[in-house]
Amino acid sequence: MRTLVLGLGNPILSDDSVGFRVVQELRARLDKPDLTLVESSASGLSLLDLITGYDKLVIIDAIKTEGGEAGKIYRLGAENLGAIRHSASPHDINLATALELGRKLGVALPRQIIILAIEVIDVTTFSEKCTPEVERAIPLAVSMVAEELDSG
Amino acid sequence: MKRIVIDPFTRLEGHGRIDIFLDDAGDVANAYLRIPELRGFEKFCEGRPVEELPRITPRICGVCPSAHHMASTKAVDAVFHVDPPPVAKKVRELYYCAHMCHSHIAHFYALAAPDFVLGPTSDPAQRNILGLIAKVGVDIGLEVIKNRANAQHIQEVIGGKATHSVCGLPGGVSKAITEEERADFEDKAKTMVEFGKFSLKLFSDVVLSNKEYADLILGDIYYMTSYYMGMVDANNKVNFYDGDIRVVDPEGKEVVKFKPADYLDIIAEHTEPWTYLKFPFLKKIGWKGLVDGMDSGVYRVAPLARLNVADGMATPLAQAEYEKMYSTLGGKPAHHTLANHWARLIELQYAAERLLELCQDKEITDPNVRTLPTATPTEGVGVVEAPRGTLFHHYQTDANGMVEKVNLIVATGNNNAAMCISIKKAAQGLIKAGKVVTEGILNMIEMAYRAYDPCMACATHSLPGQMPLEVVIYDKEGKELDRLSQYIT
Repeated sequence: MRTLVLGLGNPILSDDSVGFRVVQELRARLDKPDLTLVESSASGLSLLDLITGYDKLVIIDAIKTEGGEAGKIYRLGAENLGAIRHSASPHDINLATALELGRKLGVALPRQIIILAIEVIDVTTFSEKCTPEVERAIPLAVSMVAEELDSG
Repeated sequence: MKRIVIDPFTRLEGHGRIDIFLDDAGDVANAYLRIPELRGFEKFCEGRPVEELPRITPRICGVCPSAHHMASTKAVDAVFHVDPPPVAKKVRELYYCAHMCHSHIAHFYALAAPDFVLGPTSDPAQRNILGLIAKVGVDIGLEVIKNRANAQHIQEVIGGKATHSVCGLPGGVSKAITEEERADFEDKAKTMVEFGKFSLKLFSDVVLSNKEYADLILGDIYYMTSYYMGMVDANNKVNFYDGDIRVVDPEGKEVVKFKPADYLDIIAEHTEPWTYLKFPFLKKIGWKGLVDGMDSGVYRVAPLARLNVADGMATPLAQAEYEKMYSTLGGKPAHHTLANHWARLIELQYAAERLLELCQDKEITDPNVRTLPTATPTEGVGVVEAPRGTLFHHYQTDANGMVEKVNLIVATGNNNAAMCISIKKAAQGLIKAGKVVTEGILNMIEMAYRAYDPCMACATHSLPGQMPLEVVIYDKEGKELDRLSQYIT
């Protein structure tokens, strides 16, 4: 099973780097055949390019929800992104739309898509470090990904 | 009308805001565009080696990193007082034309076209690239993806990495193009030229021949006069990578043509208490407020502005389309904001043709792609035309090349005043005297803002993924009447 673990984010925007951080930790820990670890700042259509040809996809990204507790980790599936698909965003399409587009165009998308979203605080200050609450969530996120990989 | 103070310290939670205030008669008194600001960039750069900035500044934006990479690389050239060899400049320009192709394709098909192909007041659930494909067919969708990916591929090969390039070095680029790569790029460029033609035909068939859309483009709601700014080559033709910066007045007359290093003589930045984003304006004319016209120092950048300031396009197919556009719009300069979408496609055509020209240039695989800097670094300015408009990078270093000061005027920043004015005009045209404000009307106000293809980089990568916009309408007492949030339900 070809698996892609994709950390999304921006490595210099504080908590927006959390996806990258988790993948970096995983890279130090894991060495499995058929496993690809990628950090990317791509979004929308560019994401579609990255995820074709894999059976399983695990995405790690930052999330901000209303009243959310910093450091909390949500496990989402592609079906959870449906509610936010309506975004008429000013630039580029979102993940849900990209996935649906891929499906419509017959692109070879992963059959299994899991998203680990980590609740963050600050994504607007330039820094290479996360806020303390988010830093503390990284080891747990790493374990959760490792579990996803073991579960097959 | 009650005077409302908009507190800029109210945290914009990862989305932009348009606040519309109605007067006693229920007409629009004012409209304000607020964008959350990324903080601490200068501090982040201070003390770092300046040649790192071409790898740091692209991180500001996940969508137009190549524009920052190029502007930054040129600024670093200037800091080190080094001139790259001719083939290095051609390689950079080739890479950069690929970037323009990929960016303009993505914007037109994912963001602009849905408004026109499905209709500006159609259901937002349909008004996106999925709805577009459902209407024009899967084949076209595949062509969009293919050509975009081809352009991205060229960028990636030359840039050295997907999305965030590393090829720009002071005095040149990191590697030459091999013959095998060149041949591959040439093939891709040829299909891109055809795709440019196809896209313009689609625009003509679907948008211009539809009276409702043609009226929208030519009508009052999206019309404002302003000065225009853009980069031109030695023949005053549009060039994205290098040249002087030209400014024309609302009647099309040249006001000034300046070198990047002199930008502070031409541009100053105004601040308003209700937003962190500054308002660049022309010093010579002065800041007269958020108003358009000959007496206001507000200027615009981006595709329509670039075509307005230039005397033409440097490649034949694009030139023919340029002439057709101005003939349809009734002459130069064109002030119809929605025509930015048309101009964007003409630029796509030029970028593809120019890309092909460079691929076929006899010199393009020459290995001499770097001149090593020898002078002591001091200060420099680098400018390119980003997909969204003129982009300025200005750096100051100490004698060891460590960053002391960084100033950026990003493309969207140049358009800040114009966006506010356009939004206000659209709102005034659409919301009158007690009229019920529908979602369709609010979307049409947003169209005024989307025509500028603004790049709001913050929160680009946290779910839901992009920075969305909220439109809020207040009555004369400042009480909220309506709110459109097209991002999360």
